Amino acid sequence: MLWPALVMLVAFFLLPTLDIVRSSVFDPDLTGRHFERVFTRAIYLDVFWRTIRVSLIVAAVCAVVAYPVAYYIVQRPRRRQFLFLFLVFVPLWMSVLIRSYAWMVVLGREGLVNAALMGLGLTDAPVKMLFTTGAVYVAMVQILLPIQIVTCYSAMSEIDLDLMRAARVLGAGPWQAVRRVFLPLSLDGTITGAIIVFMLSMGFFITPALVGGRRDLMLANLIELQVNQLNWGFAAAIALVLMAGTVACVAAIKWLSRRLVRALSGGGAP
Amino acid sequence: MRKGMGKLSRFLPAAYFWLVILYLLFPIVIVLPISFSNNPFLRFPPSNFGVLWYETYFSDPVWVAATVLSFKVALTASLLATVIGTMAVLVLERRQVPLKAAVTYFITSPIIIPHIFIALGVFILAVRLGLEDNALTLAGAHATIAIPFVVLIVGAAHRQLDPTFERAARVLGAGPVRAFFSAAFPSLLPGIAAAAVFAFFVSFDELIIAEFLMGEQETLPMRIWADLRLELRPTIAAVSSLLITITTLGMALSEILRRRGANLNDD
Repeated sequence: MLWPALVMLVAFFLLPTLDIVRSSVFDPDLTGRHFERVFTRAIYLDVFWRTIRVSLIVAAVCAVVAYPVAYYIVQRPRRRQFLFLFLVFVPLWMSVLIRSYAWMVVLGREGLVNAALMGLGLTDAPVKMLFTTGAVYVAMVQILLPIQIVTCYSAMSEIDLDLMRAARVLGAGPWQAVRRVFLPLSLDGTITGAIIVFMLSMGFFITPALVGGRRDLMLANLIELQVNQLNWGFAAAIALVLMAGTVACVAAIKWLSRRLVRALSGGGAP
Repeated sequence: MRKGMGKLSRFLPAAYFWLVILYLLFPIVIVLPISFSNNPFLRFPPSNFGVLWYETYFSDPVWVAATVLSFKVALTASLLATVIGTMAVLVLERRQVPLKAAVTYFITSPIIIPHIFIALGVFILAVRLGLEDNALTLAGAHATIAIPFVVLIVGAAHRQLDPTFERAARVLGAGPVRAFFSAAFPSLLPGIAAAAVFAFFVSFDELIIAEFLMGEQETLPMRIWADLRLELRPTIAAVSSLLITITTLGMALSEILRRRGANLNDD
C-alpha cells in the first residue's frame, strides 16, 4: 500500500508547506510586506548572505577534507573498509545537540583546549574560542564531515580500479592516472556530497546558537526568533527565502561543477 | 632514500586518516569522563569522581518526564514510519506505479528539507487545526521525516532479495501473500529492524519540530536545549553520556542486523 505514505507526506509536508506560503503573503490580506522586510532591512540581508557564505565554506571544506579520507578507505582490504566506515558512522549517529554540546565542553573558557594550553604554559589567561565564528566552522564541519566521507566513499567504491592500471599500462604516470581517470569519475560523488552538506548547512540551527556568537546566527535561528515573537508571517517569508536561496545555490553548484568535470576529463596535454 | 620516501608515502595518508577520525570522535568521547565528575561546574581536568549527576538526572521528575515522553513519541514514530515505509517499498519495488520516480522522490524528499522548514509549516497548520501541543501530532511529524530513511534502508534490502525463493513458493502452491511472508519477509526482516532503530533515533534526537509544536509537555532534546541555554551543568554531561552509549549500541545493532541481512541474501 502506497497511500499511507502519501497521506503522511501530504499531511505533514505538502499541506504545511502550502500553509507557509499562505502565511507569508496573507496577513490577513494579501501583502508583500513580509518579503519586503527581509530584503530591505540590512540586518536580515546580512543573515541571509552569512547563511549562504557559511554553508558554502562548510561544504567546500568538507569536500576537500573528506576526499583523501574516502580515497584512503577505498584502498583498504574489504574487511578493513567496513571497520573504518563504522568509525566514520559513529559520530554521524550522535544527535547534533549532543555533538554541539561536546564542542562547548572542548572549546569553553574552562574547557579542554584551554586547560591544555594553560597547563602547557602557552597562555596565561583562557583564550576565547567558544561563541566565535571559528567555533561554528569547527563544529559544523565535524558534524557534517561523515556525510561527505560516506557519499564520496560510495562513489569511489563503484570505480573499477583496473581502469587506473590500464591507464598506467598505456603510459600514464601515477599522478596522471589519478587526474585523468580517477578524479573525473569520483568528482560526481564528491559534488553530490557537497550539495547534501550545503543543503543541510543552510538549515543549521542548533550549532550556531550554541557555539557561535551573536553575530553568527543563521536564517534558521532568525525563524525561531520570529516564531517566539509570534511573527509567523515574517517567519514564513524567511523560511521561503531560505528554501529559494538553497535551490538557487544548488543549481549554481551543479552548473559550475558540470563545467569543472568537463574541463578535467577533457583538455590538458596527453 | 627511495625506501624512505615509500615509507613516508604510506605513513602520511594513514596519519591523515587517523587525525580526521580523532577530530570526528574526540569531542564525543571527551563528554564521558566529565559526566563522572562531582564538581558543580564543567572544568578540566575533571576531579572528584562520582555519579552525582546521574543521580540528579534520575531523581529529577522533570528530566524523567521528558525522557519518558521522548521514548513514547519515538516508539510511536518509529512504528508508524517502519510500517508505512515498508509498505511503500513493497509497492514501489514490486508493482508498476505510474510516475514511480516522481513518487519516490516525493516520499524521500523530507531528507533534504531543513527541519526548521517542516517545523514551521507543521506548527502553523497544527495551530490552525487546534492540534498543537499534542504528542500524536509530534509523532506523526517525526514519522514523516523518518519515512525516507525507512524507504532507503528497506528498499536497499529488498533489492538484495533473491526472487527465486518466492517464485519457488508460488510454484509449490502458496498464494502471493503466503509466498511473500514465508519466502521473502524473513530475509527482509533484518533490514526492517535496522530501519526501525534508525527511525527511532531520528525522532528521539529531533529538537526543532518538538520545540515549535509542544508547549506544556517537554521532550528530552527540548529539556537539554533549555538547560544548555541557561547554564552548562554537568547533568547534561550525564544525559549526553547515556545518549551516546544508547545510540552507539542501538545503531551498532541496527548495522549488524543490516549487514547480516545482506550476507544472508549473498549466500
